[in-house]
Amino acid sequence: MPRVPLYGEKIFHTINHAAPRVDGADKVTGRAHYAADVCYPRMIFGAMLRLDGVPSARIRSIDTSEALRMPGVLAVLTYHDLPKPKSWAGYMYLTDRVRYVGDVIALIAAETKAQAEEAKKKIRVEYEELPAVFDVREAMKPGAPLVHEEYPNNIFTESRYTLKKGDVEKGFAESDLVVERTYETQYVEHAYIEPEAAVAVENPSNGDITVHASSQNPFFTRRYVADILQIPLNRVRLIQETLGGTFGGKEEGVGLLAARCAYLCRLLHRPVKLVFSREESLLESSKRYPFLFTYKAGLKRDGRILAWQATQIANSGAYNNQTQFMNWRATAHCAGAYNIPNVEADTFGVFTNNIHSGAFRGYSSPELLFAQEQFVEELAEELGMTPIEFRRINCLRNGATVATGAEVQHVVLPEMIDYTADQTDYERRHAENRKQTGPVRHGIGMAISHRGCGYGAESPDAAGAFLIVNEDGSVLLHSGLAENGQGLKTAYCQIAAESLGVPLDSVRFYGTDTHCIPDCGMTVASRGTVMGAQPVRKAGDKLNRILRENAVGLGMFTAGKGGADRDRTAGDIILLDGLFFDPAHPDYKVPLAQVANAALWRGMCLSAYEWYTPPPCVQDHATQQGRAFPTYSYVCVVAEVVVDLRTGEVSVLRVTSSHDTGTAINPALVKGQVYGGILMGMGYGTMEEVVTKNGRVKTQNLDEYLIPTAMDMPEMHINIFECDDESGTYGAKSVGEPAMECVAAAVANAVCNATGRRVRQNPASLENVLLGKKLW
Amino acid sequence: MSELRFTLNGKPVCVTVEDNARLLDVLRDTLGLTGTKEGCGVGECGACTVIVDGDAVNSCLMPAMRVSGKSVTTVEGLAHDGRLDRLQQAVLDHHALQCGFCTPGFLMSAKALLDKNPHPTREEIITAISGNLCRCTGYEQIVEAILDASEREA
Amino acid sequence: MRNFTYLSPKSLPEALRLMREHAGRIRPLAGGTDLMVELRKDDAKLDGMDYALDLCGIPELCGVSQEGDLLSIGSATTHDAVSRSPVLRERAAMLADASLSVGAQQIRNVATIGGNVANAAVAADTLSPLAALDAVVVLRNMEAERRMPLSEFVTGAGKTAIRPDELLIKIVFAPLDGYGTAFVKLGRRKALAISRMNAAAALKIEDGQIKGARVSPGCVFASPRRVSCAEELLLGAAPSRELFERCGKAVSDEMVRITGVRWSTEYKYPALSAIVCRALCIAADLPEEEA
Repeated sequence: MPRVPLYGEKIFHTINHAAPRVDGADKVTGRAHYAADVCYPRMIFGAMLRLDGVPSARIRSIDTSEALRMPGVLAVLTYHDLPKPKSWAGYMYLTDRVRYVGDVIALIAAETKAQAEEAKKKIRVEYEELPAVFDVREAMKPGAPLVHEEYPNNIFTESRYTLKKGDVEKGFAESDLVVERTYETQYVEHAYIEPEAAVAVENPSNGDITVHASSQNPFFTRRYVADILQIPLNRVRLIQETLGGTFGGKEEGVGLLAARCAYLCRLLHRPVKLVFSREESLLESSKRYPFLFTYKAGLKRDGRILAWQATQIANSGAYNNQTQFMNWRATAHCAGAYNIPNVEADTFGVFTNNIHSGAFRGYSSPELLFAQEQFVEELAEELGMTPIEFRRINCLRNGATVATGAEVQHVVLPEMIDYTADQTDYERRHAENRKQTGPVRHGIGMAISHRGCGYGAESPDAAGAFLIVNEDGSVLLHSGLAENGQGLKTAYCQIAAESLGVPLDSVRFYGTDTHCIPDCGMTVASRGTVMGAQPVRKAGDKLNRILRENAVGLGMFTAGKGGADRDRTAGDIILLDGLFFDPAHPDYKVPLAQVANAALWRGMCLSAYEWYTPPPCVQDHATQQGRAFPTYSYVCVVAEVVVDLRTGEVSVLRVTSSHDTGTAINPALVKGQVYGGILMGMGYGTMEEVVTKNGRVKTQNLDEYLIPTAMDMPEMHINIFECDDESGTYGAKSVGEPAMECVAAAVANAVCNATGRRVRQNPASLENVLLGKKLW
Repeated sequence: MSELRFTLNGKPVCVTVEDNARLLDVLRDTLGLTGTKEGCGVGECGACTVIVDGDAVNSCLMPAMRVSGKSVTTVEGLAHDGRLDRLQQAVLDHHALQCGFCTPGFLMSAKALLDKNPHPTREEIITAISGNLCRCTGYEQIVEAILDASEREA
Repeated sequence: MRNFTYLSPKSLPEALRLMREHAGRIRPLAGGTDLMVELRKDDAKLDGMDYALDLCGIPELCGVSQEGDLLSIGSATTHDAVSRSPVLRERAAMLADASLSVGAQQIRNVATIGGNVANAAVAADTLSPLAALDAVVVLRNMEAERRMPLSEFVTGAGKTAIRPDELLIKIVFAPLDGYGTAFVKLGRRKALAISRMNAAAALKIEDGQIKGARVSPGCVFASPRRVSCAEELLLGAAPSRELFERCGKAVSDEMVRITGVRWSTEYKYPALSAIVCRALCIAADLPEEEA
């Protein structure tokens, strides 16, 4: 086995250890309040009306008179009642032109939720159905109904990116073999267990609005609230304390929900609670993009890929303000984790009258990898090589260049492939499986990935953090990035404790409050630790220095103290575990509380604020060549399945997942992410699909939209690799999205190893596996 | 509206409820115990799991009136005098939670299991929790926590 | 949530009296796992429902007992109780297996076998084993008791012959002593799964020959029933995988004969054959096919 840098070799004080979650006790006792648990006296309830199953229509009239007379009803609003019915991002708070089944046409407020729901039934709507289009291929045809009049051919022009590295035509001309394949992926739902919720309350003294929302990005949500109310951002406060999972889904949908809720609050001067039912969440929250992929590659007989051409078409649905960001990433990753000299890609989104797509863990990577990692195996097959041989020849390694032309270093990928293959006996079993003849067959499949960490050039990956030491030595941390459940609060407290030099349990990060810290961008792109925590470390380092200066300034380390023969300077002493001491005379220690207390009374500084900006990532717009990301993390997954060819049943037996985490800030949190990512990826590959027919959502609740249960759990093995890449906080990379992105692809490859047939459309459901195609 | 009397977390309660009230709503809205969550409303996610007379049930599907005279336990009833019960502690020790929204439901399914079957096998644990969906953890650490808890002092 | 008045009778006569008094506007509430879902969305089929009659406080409706040579299961017996019943495990194991496959523990703790039958969803898990057992449902109103075979009771998808003032009291059948049984469920995941299809099979094998056979597929017919043409293939023959594959095909042929070719037939035909074959192999104690 190759020598690989597995977790366990780095030495840190607080980080790189499996510290317990700081919010754990509140959650296991039921004390933690999620947005729907928040209550205020005299609180009222909202409800939303949509047309049932109509994806495209013009509303002719809405008669709310009877609804308004129903018991407990306080308001019934429609499109014409809102000064600003269209949100800053294009999604509609309320509309009179329905473009998909989730569009809301009326908003009701009543004393109780039941009364609001009853009132909904009394609203009389007259509408005229309009033509609609659902399939991206149909939508692009001349004469197709336009989802938005300003986008001819329904192509979302702002979301179009082209990439050009080298010269693909030359590459194809020099190739011995050219292969082209097409793949398709499905609508998938985040299915966080907590449905979206918001509670808005007005400050009686000044009319400012506070919203508690199940928000992934409190600043992003704040923008919607200020937008609908047409007030400055400094009069809106978003507080996010505990969030029941998001995976990218609680962005636009929650923005709309919070805005509607806040509007009712200001209108009626009562606290308002507005909660999505699971059905509403399935309709109106964003989904994973269905993609249509065509890949074409030129190969040499010796196994090298010379040229790679990609067309990546995303179904944006009816409204979209995400595709343009996602497609930038999809473009940067268009050629997979491979070192290819000539690459060309065209990536764009298409509007349809469907539920809309948005951010979802991976942000295009699980979709791309489903296609690419199978395509790569098809290429190997065409050459008569095994998939692993082919990957070894072409995969990224130190000094290779990615699709954007940037060179990569600290690439542990080749070692990870060998390690994981060895551990799973992949090569031998893959070969043996191909000889099976019976109806029940085993399969083993691999997928690898590279992932640009953080935002990269997509968005400025800057963030800030504010650390305060109180007079008793307790520490408060403020950050604009939010706890989604992934353990960000814990990781940040660990990083703050590590850099500041205090015990972990003295640091408190209670949540994100938009009144207390600047907008630090969204908690997305697995950037929380790699980039988002950089200012936490910087603030910790800075405050550590300030405190040492305070300790010296207060005369606590003059000559004689601790037996030293001279006055110490700040550089002579250390703050560790909440104690100041001179390493040369370590028996004399001064507790932080003593310094802090004295410092407070002397007007000395006890806080630090730092803003971090990463090194620039610059790319040429037309060719996308340049540095797209500060660094990349790598993944190798091997999945083992058993398939019954007579029924199409796929059982995922075991998944081995290797991750390059740089530095694992908290290995227990890393493992948790990877386990969760495996189940989510497995679901994506075998059982999850939001089934739509003519724009209507058929899988309406969790009885029909299936995610894996505990009984579906495979055996899981995790390998955490570390390396010396300095780009991220304490050398950390990303793991949230890498945890999931390769799994469905590995499962598809395993299914093919078992059945001999490619899974060209996701998921590998019963029908798809038995028949080789989907029945709907 | 009718009067409903039952035992909640060991103490007698009496509330007035609508006939069509769900036990979930009575717990969360009438009695203010928000530890029990609503994830889907149709009995498919288990986030609303509570224990009624020793059985784990989905409180979103239970008419409140049905618990008249019965004993109901929610997550708020697990800890005693500020001390976490062994399942709660094991969940923390094994990092068996992330967003935590499904956690109360899992704790109740696990408690119902251990009260009936003090030393379950791994398979029995998985069967007992298969009605609780989790989207964050991948279940593995939850199973390990329950197995560990079963070996600790109650 | 639809409004209703909650009634909780303590005896069967009281329950039947209430059914008569409010006939047409009253629905029995057993486990609640179906009815509460319908009430939440105020499903159209609840039109006219004003009363819910809670059956769980009526002891006569719960439990497994002997009725002469027959076994009797009270309609309000939970799936959990059915799955754990030592009597059923021994003498009608496929039914206990079917109940064990329903939903998950929280559902099984309250959902009842009577509710499963009276709701008559096409994918209901206990319908196929009950049909294989030639089960008879017992219905009662204030005056009289009626008995009818399950296949007559279920008249279509979600429809039964129950009258507005009747309650399903119990389900009776002759136990299959000396039979090996099996229930195979094909679902899209391993728990909280609706049957995509299922199959119940029972075989009595003596001296290497099949002396008795019951085969009943689930999720294919509007009303659950045994497939006699498939059973006839088995009688008198020696158990073998090849025989069971033929039998499976015969069941699929019957499905097509009765319900015609639909969009899903391309999948259902081979998959149904496979699970019928699988069920027969298990019932005959033939080793499962290994990769």
